[in-house]
Amino acid sequence: MLYCAPTGGFPQDRRVQLPAFEYLRPQSLAQALDWLAMYGTRAAVLAGGTDLLLAMRQRLVVPEVVIGIGDLPELRGVAFDGEGVLHLGAAETLTTLAGHPLLRVGQPALAAALQSVGSRHVRNVATLGGNLNLPTRCWYTNQSETWRQARVPCLKTGGDICFVIPGARECFALNGADGAVALLALDARLELASAGGRREVSIAGFYRNDGLAPTTLAAGELVTAVRVPAAAGRSTFIKIAPRTGLDYGLGTIAAVVAGDDDGITAARLVLGSIASWPVRLHEAERIVVAGGLTPATIEAAAQAARADLGELTNL
Amino acid sequence: MKRHIIRLTVNGDTHELAVAPNATLVEVIRDRLGLTGTKRGCTSGACGVCTINDEEGRALLSCLTLAVAWDGCSLTTIEGVAEGGRLHPLQQAFWELGAVQCGYCTPGLVMTARALLLGNPQADAPAIDEALAGTLCRCTGHIKVKQAVASAVARVAADHVAATPESGNDGAQG
Repeated sequence: MLYCAPTGGFPQDRRVQLPAFEYLRPQSLAQALDWLAMYGTRAAVLAGGTDLLLAMRQRLVVPEVVIGIGDLPELRGVAFDGEGVLHLGAAETLTTLAGHPLLRVGQPALAAALQSVGSRHVRNVATLGGNLNLPTRCWYTNQSETWRQARVPCLKTGGDICFVIPGARECFALNGADGAVALLALDARLELASAGGRREVSIAGFYRNDGLAPTTLAAGELVTAVRVPAAAGRSTFIKIAPRTGLDYGLGTIAAVVAGDDDGITAARLVLGSIASWPVRLHEAERIVVAGGLTPATIEAAAQAARADLGELTNL
Repeated sequence: MKRHIIRLTVNGDTHELAVAPNATLVEVIRDRLGLTGTKRGCTSGACGVCTINDEEGRALLSCLTLAVAWDGCSLTTIEGVAEGGRLHPLQQAFWELGAVQCGYCTPGLVMTARALLLGNPQADAPAIDEALAGTLCRCTGHIKVKQAVASAVARVAADHVAATPESGNDGAQG
């Protein structure tokens, strides 16, 4: 049967209807990158779509062209490379990664972080690359178009005021990419590709503490893979959220700690969902390594973290 | 917008459709194929009422999915769950235990639970909670729903034992 015309009475309602765009399905990564170079900021890449399609429905993103990259084999794969580094394709789904033995056993903090995202439905299609590129969020901007239009634009939507933090002159929208929090603690690196070539960047070098431009990803560039070295110690990830399912974190923490009862030899502590990037707690790490894990050093590390972060929180 | 010709197999029937790029699966399933068992709810991924199953039996939000991206794929909706006029054990359990109030979320809940059973036939209470976390019943709560899913897990396991000759013999001897 060939259907050519819509038969139903689906309401043409901007609140639920996606904006118009052309859909392109590349046959290879090279073709996708050529198209990305050609269309630049007029294009959006679609993998799982759980975040992009909602943002498009809310008219936060209105691309002329959507490039579907979810099927590209170049963006798949979970395997060790020759140097014992775990190589994760950016278009692998969160369900696949969180349930993969190489992550569950070898990288528990990363598995827990990816498992904490959304719901099973979302994780079944949402990808690692999508999570790492999650736009920053706030409770003013991430709403329907109607809601946003009820007030003048904010810093993020072309205006010069902030509704979340009155008087703010910069955008403090939060980075809720749970995978990034674990990956910064694990000192992972990202592989990026564009039509012009490839480069590698550390997680720390990828993110910026700027709600308006939270990553250093250039126009036409795509995250193709994540390289995760073996954890230098035991690792964990904890998310504080109103519900265990679906909610973005009010705060998240990833920790990689090496040592034993005799002392801590190394520690990487990272907080997420409280700033426009994942925040490395350098001073708290130094205190824990210098003094070991005692109630007193833990308290001192917590105070140091608090001093580092300042007074702005998302609460 | 340039329309795309896609081939979708839904509940075993193959359809060739010309769809706009911005058509979501739930729009195509409901408005083009007339399969209105799949509901449209929050359209933002929070409520799960639009849940269908893909070829691998995974739960999929049809409201956050472009139809063009699923060209060539095989999908199951709530209309394809009962087989040969017999309710699926999940449907039977929802019915018998009254795990329904207004019923709007029920197809999504059944499709969510079906994905769970296909992937994990021995699902325990934490696994059921995890699977259902992406669904929302606004009438009442999830207590009876969880009881119904647990009951269906037990039924499927019992049917499996009954249908396996060796286990059946063991049972008769014991």
